[in-house]
Amino acid sequence: MTAAVHTRGLTRAYAGRKTDRGRDHLALDSFDLRVEEGEVHGLLGPNGAGKTTLCRILSTVLLPTGGTAEVLGHDVRTEADVVRRTVGIVFGGERGLYGRLTPRQNLRFWGALYGLGGKELRRRTDALLERTGLGGRADDRVDTMSRGMKQRVHIARGLITDPPVLILDEPTNGMDPVAAHDFRAMITELRTDGRTVLLTTHDMGEAEALCDRVTLVDRGRVIATETTDSVGALLARHDRIDATDVPPEVVTALRALPGTESVTPLGGDSIRVVTADADTVGEVLRLLVASGVTRVTTAPPGLEEVYLGLIGRQGMRVRP
Amino acid sequence: MRLFLNGFLFQLRLSRRSPDTFLVCVTAPLLTTVFLSINAYTGRHELTSYAVVAPTLMSLWALALSVAGSALTEDRDLGTLEGQIAAPAPMALTFLGRMCSVVVVGSMAFAETWLVAGALFGRWIALPHPVVSVACLLATALATAGTAGLLSPLFVLTPSARTLQNTLTFPFYLLGGVLVPVSVLPQWLRPASYTVFLSWSADLLRDSLATDPVSRPALRLLAVLALGAAGYGMGMLLLHRVVLRVRRTGTLTRT
Repeated sequence: MTAAVHTRGLTRAYAGRKTDRGRDHLALDSFDLRVEEGEVHGLLGPNGAGKTTLCRILSTVLLPTGGTAEVLGHDVRTEADVVRRTVGIVFGGERGLYGRLTPRQNLRFWGALYGLGGKELRRRTDALLERTGLGGRADDRVDTMSRGMKQRVHIARGLITDPPVLILDEPTNGMDPVAAHDFRAMITELRTDGRTVLLTTHDMGEAEALCDRVTLVDRGRVIATETTDSVGALLARHDRIDATDVPPEVVTALRALPGTESVTPLGGDSIRVVTADADTVGEVLRLLVASGVTRVTTAPPGLEEVYLGLIGRQGMRVRP
Repeated sequence: MRLFLNGFLFQLRLSRRSPDTFLVCVTAPLLTTVFLSINAYTGRHELTSYAVVAPTLMSLWALALSVAGSALTEDRDLGTLEGQIAAPAPMALTFLGRMCSVVVVGSMAFAETWLVAGALFGRWIALPHPVVSVACLLATALATAGTAGLLSPLFVLTPSARTLQNTLTFPFYLLGGVLVPVSVLPQWLRPASYTVFLSWSADLLRDSLATDPVSRPALRLLAVLALGAAGYGMGMLLLHRVVLRVRRTGTLTRT
């Protein structure tokens, strides 16, 4: 079965940017990814992980320097024209729209670039404006709109050609919570259309809420690809145990256990213990119960913890 | 044709919301007033056609320079160039449509200068060869749009685009015989003038305003169109190479 998106050994080097060792900076380094048709796939990674580079390559805006990338079986390098008709791209942020024009005028301009015209273009424009909730502001200038409204125009622009594959590059970046919630509802609708969606984000909640599978990326490499539900199993050994009323000497003993990754105060007398392997969970529980601690809960890690655990607690640090 | 029209209407909509485009509608009458005042002071009434033709061509050229200079760089800054490259349509046709839309606005300068000459200075210029005049204006507008196609990618490639833009105004008015006929330029400069479509346009437009028969109008119109087409062809080739280069180097989003 043909994958919607398939990359093999995909590499993108930037000759003008050097690493500390004087080598070309690799935004993507032998990147292997397979996204099935109809799937909503999340790409999770910190800034500079290579997510946007991948989006640019898949939308043919950027050429790879190594490996292959295919969209519905078409190579982005040799069959760029076919790929362009297949992919709808939605870049996040303020860029990518003509602010002096209205959403309707923007959609008509972009639609015509994909060969649409006449009644068909008008019909699709009107339908998308309604679908994205822009009907009431279809003839207002885009630069008078809020970030959330602009993002709706972006989505409508990406959908104007009814593409089977939609690439969303950090679509909720900078959106307020209400707008982000509306946006997620829209993506859920797209899933029911049977469309393939590749979504890049560094918002764990967003990936958990929207995606069938997620790929964790860092430094241009794939760290893991799993279903959203099972990705927690990757770090099953990183179970978390929350406990209350823990005496200080027990905290010290927990820290001393070889399989304990971290012991973090949660406020008051509560702590969170994160274990480095499954065996340690039992040891931690035994120690807590033996010390008379009865208020204990264990839980699998959230996607955010998996992400931080795999990539490292580097926060928002941007890669050089 | 659909892509051309899309570009034409798109630029027209942008222009409506960008007063810069219509600035020539103010500068053209001003320039005409200056030239005709000098003309009246020196008593050289036979040069009235020069005072009408020069602001017309200067307006067209200045507008094309301004829009061509900003079209691609603005698209690059707005992030819309990425979307255009990611679209299957060739950029060349859309771009030609955009530039033609601009020169339509620029062509209005001719009517303005004609009115200024008549209404302010009482010199109502007759159009003894209306077909040649109109054809020359149309050909010049097309050639200007075509040449703008060459300038636009050139500005993207040039780090100091604004400086280049400025150097392409008055030197070109002189080289193109807009202010004075090419025949009064130094002998060694004239061959260069004939490679600039403006020189053919200026001469033909002035001849079409005189009562004498116009010599070889079709051939001269062809020269205007051919030079404009050559500029457009080179421009689109250059644009293709620029796009390929930014896709290869990954410098599209850099400004």
